Amino acid sequence: MSYILRYFDGIGISEATRLLLTAANVEWTEEHPEWPQEKANQPHGRMPVLIEKDVDGEADFVVCESGSIERYLARKYGFIPADLKQAALQEQLRDLMFDVNHALAGRLSSRCKEDRVESEKKFEDLLALVIKEQSKLITSNGNNGLLFGDCLSYADIVSYGFYKNLLQSVVVLLPDVADIVRTMLTPEVVNLISVVESDPKVVKHTSKGNSLAVAAVME
Amino acid sequence: MLSGSDTVYVLRYFDVIGRAEGCRLLLTAANASWTEEHPEWPAEKANQPFERLPVLVERSNGNEWILCESLTIERYLARVFGFMPTDLKQAALQEQMADQQADLLSAFFAQLTATGDMKSKQIDEFNTLFDRMVKEHGRILSRSSSKQHLFGDQLSYADISLYAFYKLFIVYLKCYQSDIAEIVKSKLTPEIINLILSIEKEPQLAPHFSKCDTMAAIFTAKDF
Repeated sequence: MSYILRYFDGIGISEATRLLLTAANVEWTEEHPEWPQEKANQPHGRMPVLIEKDVDGEADFVVCESGSIERYLARKYGFIPADLKQAALQEQLRDLMFDVNHALAGRLSSRCKEDRVESEKKFEDLLALVIKEQSKLITSNGNNGLLFGDCLSYADIVSYGFYKNLLQSVVVLLPDVADIVRTMLTPEVVNLISVVESDPKVVKHTSKGNSLAVAAVME
Repeated sequence: MLSGSDTVYVLRYFDVIGRAEGCRLLLTAANASWTEEHPEWPAEKANQPFERLPVLVERSNGNEWILCESLTIERYLARVFGFMPTDLKQAALQEQMADQQADLLSAFFAQLTATGDMKSKQIDEFNTLFDRMVKEHGRILSRSSSKQHLFGDQLSYADISLYAFYKLFIVYLKCYQSDIAEIVKSKLTPEIINLILSIEKEPQLAPHFSKCDTMAAIFTAKDF
């Protein structure tokens, strides 16, 4: 079994998928199609796209949509619990993070000051909810730095990808976002980032580039 | 069915189609014991776990369990009540359709609120994505054994999600943009319209239509 992740050459929305592929310990590579030339060739006209290649020569299995790609890999490789309620609690947190990203996209496409202020407020309000929920979960999980249980979970992995995008990717387009995020982070979430970064399952990937754990606290 | 017969559900949302129709249809199709609450808003905002709606409350054996986020609620109910395939690949194919539909809703609002140079760009993006999605639905349907269902020969999460999506665009979103229903209808193929109307006739969904209209009257002969 091997995978191809088709996406832009950047952190973006796909960092969680990269981390899941790393944690799954499977063979995987990335393709960065010419864009927008290759747009019409993607099943949903967008990226990311995940292609799963079976060694037995069966047809490739293709999944689109970042959320579906993440959940497919997370279930297949055991990072989402089998218990439906436990799984749903992890998924709702991830969906809230996607809402934060949508609000940020709204901020990027705002053309007048009024819209910018409104979308920035929406972004900050939603981010505050994410941080509050994560902090609550980490604390009630015994403060081991993880959101659920004792092992790295889907929720932990996607949270790291989420903050990596905000602190080390979006900053290129919106320089003030990283500062806003840093001031809002709680010690619990900073610890989550640090614990995930050094987890043996993902350290091969998290050790590339600049440390997110450092970026989460630096001035 | 994984939920006990003494389990009751409360769906908390506004009294509109909005983002909750998929949840309503799933609870109906499952023949679950469920009711709806329409909290005073924004008075009740701070009392919701994520300060937003919809919220699903599940009560069983004196315990209460709460879930947020419309798509997570849908996927949870779909799995509890057997509308989501247990095969991971088959589940992913259904989930990606729902995610794609959510993208379309975002694209709709993006083109609605865009101004200046962004407006025509966002309208183009919405139309391109929508046409692509309809083509994808057609492709899936052409491979389906039954033209009344997207996958297999029984009502699945994908069918319910698709129906809720088209109901949203054809019946509800005109409160935001008066011509959106006609724009969307013009993009549909006869096969997709037939699928929508077939899903509507599913016996499991009959109780839903005691509370609201079917879409049958909206599609006339000239739409086919």
